[in-house]
Amino acid sequence: MKIVTANRLSDGRVIYAGVDNQPVEGIGQASILDDAAAEIVLAEVAGRPDIFVNPYLVEVQDRTPSGRDRLKERIRSAGPTVGHSVAGGVS
Amino acid sequence: MYRYDEFDHALVRERVAEFSDQVARRASGALTEDEFKPLRLMNGVYLQLHAYMLRVAIPYGTFNSRQMRRLAHIARTYDKGYGHFTTRTNIQYNWPALTDLPAILSDLADVEMHAIQTSGNCIRNTTTDVFAGAAEDEIEDPRPWCEIIRQWSTIHPEFSFLPRKFKIAVIGAEKDRAAIRTHDVGLQIVRGEDGGTAFRVFVGGGQGRLPHIGQEIASAVPAADLLAYLTAILRAWNLLGRRDNIHKARIKILVASVGLEAFREEVDKHYATLRLEDLRIPEEEAERIKAYFAPPPFEDLPEASAPFDRALLADPDFARFARNNVRRHRQAGYASVVVSLKPVGGVPGDITADQMDAVADLAERYGFDELRAAYEQNLVLPHVKLDDVPTVWRALLEAGLATANADLATDVIACPGLDYCSLANARSIPVAQALSKRLADLDYQERLGPVRINMSGCINACGHHHVGHIGVLGVDRKGEEYYQITVGGSPDEQAALGDIVGKSLPADEVAPAIQRTLDRYLQIRADGERFIDTVRRVGPDPFRDAIYETLDAANA
Repeated sequence: MKIVTANRLSDGRVIYAGVDNQPVEGIGQASILDDAAAEIVLAEVAGRPDIFVNPYLVEVQDRTPSGRDRLKERIRSAGPTVGHSVAGGVS
Repeated sequence: MYRYDEFDHALVRERVAEFSDQVARRASGALTEDEFKPLRLMNGVYLQLHAYMLRVAIPYGTFNSRQMRRLAHIARTYDKGYGHFTTRTNIQYNWPALTDLPAILSDLADVEMHAIQTSGNCIRNTTTDVFAGAAEDEIEDPRPWCEIIRQWSTIHPEFSFLPRKFKIAVIGAEKDRAAIRTHDVGLQIVRGEDGGTAFRVFVGGGQGRLPHIGQEIASAVPAADLLAYLTAILRAWNLLGRRDNIHKARIKILVASVGLEAFREEVDKHYATLRLEDLRIPEEEAERIKAYFAPPPFEDLPEASAPFDRALLADPDFARFARNNVRRHRQAGYASVVVSLKPVGGVPGDITADQMDAVADLAERYGFDELRAAYEQNLVLPHVKLDDVPTVWRALLEAGLATANADLATDVIACPGLDYCSLANARSIPVAQALSKRLADLDYQERLGPVRINMSGCINACGHHHVGHIGVLGVDRKGEEYYQITVGGSPDEQAALGDIVGKSLPADEVAPAIQRTLDRYLQIRADGERFIDTVRRVGPDPFRDAIYETLDAANA
């Protein structure tokens, strides 16, 4: 199965196509699509460049990225694995 | 340090206005991403995994407290409260919104900063010796020449659409603390036959997929002809360099393919006419620029400092800091202090907004208001009175910036890797953190002495792994992270590329393998040998054995 992802134009944040192809931030809210539906949604969001920048498909299994780029996609969905540098160390 | 004149101010303000308009048109949808990308790249803006990234130039790594405080303000106001110093002595912000970029660039322009030419196929930020103007062995401060190169190369119409990016580094001493031979052009100030300033020129160095060490193309170009000679090099490359293949577009590929002699002939052909034109640097103009970099008003002090010596005896932690992070200064009674951005388990090069403010305060109060960014992803207070070093150390300690590991094994250079970068194949930061925790014991690190360890998350080599004494390159093997180890690289005047020791290792094997490498060095080193000396003497084999010994045992 597949999901559709992109970066949001205004702030570059990772987004997914959710219900009614609306942009959602959590991978948990992304619509899970079969191959044919995924292509249709990809074409639809590609037509909305005011929100979706560089949209593409990600293979998933149980809502978890599973293709060759699975690590990259997991990092995109969850943020840097090293947290953020804040006062007193990394959080 | 250099201060903007009316031309600099006007140029930067005009660029802010121009880019603000481009951002507004992008945000409104009037520009597509494909149309906007080349425009944003001219202004240091990337689109990374999680957000836009803004890379702000710190020309030749020199800046002041007001600028540092502004960088802190930007981190706090528009980002997540931190920034990341890079191996090009720039600072990157990982989380700015597109729509905040005009405000950020305007805030930067207020303090004579910008993001022009920090990305794209143009001449990038010129780097130099982090101890320029302070080092004992310097024959001349390289920064005025960096500034002249900055003025010449900024929005230069002939060099705004080069085949690929182009990086220049300048040093003023025999000892190379700026890795000049890993640059497209490396410049070393020497004395010409007439005793005047001249430049030894290296060309065709570079890292990335096809690494090359720069070769000497000229032994002493007279200072007045520097821009003519640089123009000749760039023109030769711009005309002959490949544009059909991004991986073969850098000048290193051209120099390697036609050979140094043939390339020199091309350069000399252009130089013969260019040196007769208006590119000669008038002496009075060079002197005018040099005046900006005049030494600060040092006091006449004895070599020794009683407060410094007392602190050495009173506090072993200070003594360790003094051994590792305090460098001799050309002026009696002064020192340069390395502010390590490599705390145990931290992200190499990261600094919080509060830490930026703390360093700015120290520079203003104890360091003639001067700060440096080092390509090793550390900061330097170049001119601190020895009497004040204990006070500075205590303030750094309080700010979490007093890790006494400069040039030691945990002073790891690492790119952001797959945690941030859309080009990366593997993560670098967690591997650097694991190594940092494993080698945290400073007694052990001091026994090892200076060792440079570099990590890159992909073959583009932003972490300079090819020239690390020990280099680590992240690779993707069917969706899993693996790491290739090299040994024997060196970024300095004995520049060399490391040897790949064997098959790549899984992430959790990297730190133990590096520790075994270092332990092997301790076993076999001769008296007084640094790690790199031992590698040069015995070659990579003993280290290869150490790296793979437990793996071989497990597979046996």
